[in-house]
Amino acid sequence: MATTTAVLDISSEDLQPGSPLSISATTTLYQTGLTTGLELVDYGAGRLTEASAGDALAEALGTADTSNYVFLCNKSTNIEHYIKVGIHDTLVGHLGSEEWLFIPWNMGDADAEINIEAEDSGTIPYEYAIFKSTFTLPAKT
Amino acid sequence: MATTDASITINSDITGTPIAITASMKLKKFQSNVGIEETTGLRSKKFTATTAVEIVANTEGTTGKASKVYIRNTGDDPAQFFYVALNNNAAAADTTETIGKLYGGPAGTGDWMLMPWAATTATTHDIVVAPSTTNLMTLEYMVFQE
Repeated sequence: MATTTAVLDISSEDLQPGSPLSISATTTLYQTGLTTGLELVDYGAGRLTEASAGDALAEALGTADTSNYVFLCNKSTNIEHYIKVGIHDTLVGHLGSEEWLFIPWNMGDADAEINIEAEDSGTIPYEYAIFKSTFTLPAKT
Repeated sequence: MATTDASITINSDITGTPIAITASMKLKKFQSNVGIEETTGLRSKKFTATTAVEIVANTEGTTGKASKVYIRNTGDDPAQFFYVALNNNAAAADTTETIGKLYGGPAGTGDWMLMPWAATTATTHDIVVAPSTTNLMTLEYMVFQE
């Protein structure tokens, strides 16, 4: 059985004056509802250009309503560059330069792909990792 | 200007070559190197019904500004989870607005998430959760905003 852990630390001395912030959280990524670790992963790097409009970082090709986790990092150092991140037709948020996200993703239905889109002009390098419960390869054309 | 740092470390032996991902970021204002300066503070909420509940209203953010949302299931049961969604359809697993599920974990190792949030002025951008059971479940969450 594979073991995958994700550790988060958030800290600030001055966001809350007089009350330093320190959040630490650790999770082990399990298969849906079990204590068996995930055994599928898809990770890599890419480049987005504004001209490409929206692209699917991941299509919802696995089993719906399962445990999956997405890490995505905007590697651009240009503060004008951000990535619009969405699920299906819904905008989740803007991932600024040198920012990352880590979210669960349950592939709610066949349309629930994760979309990414580069803004502003230029090319945005990114890195990602998707830890999955199930995976189905795209159909051959 | 406040400085807030967030780091993630992911380690995995799924592949023959171990995966080790580390990333750090400063929580910044939109298209800026200036740190965000507002927060809701850390919130904790208990649930005893499977009804979808709004935990962050779109009105708590500002359109066009940077926001980040941290959420964690503090429960110990790996079979119990919260759906996390935008809009108010979290209870439906097949809704396209559902982001994912945060499961509990033994000894406080429940799932967490940290995501950017587009606080568009519309109920479609409310953040909603729905517990999987009527057993007592607890969520902690915090919004960081410009």
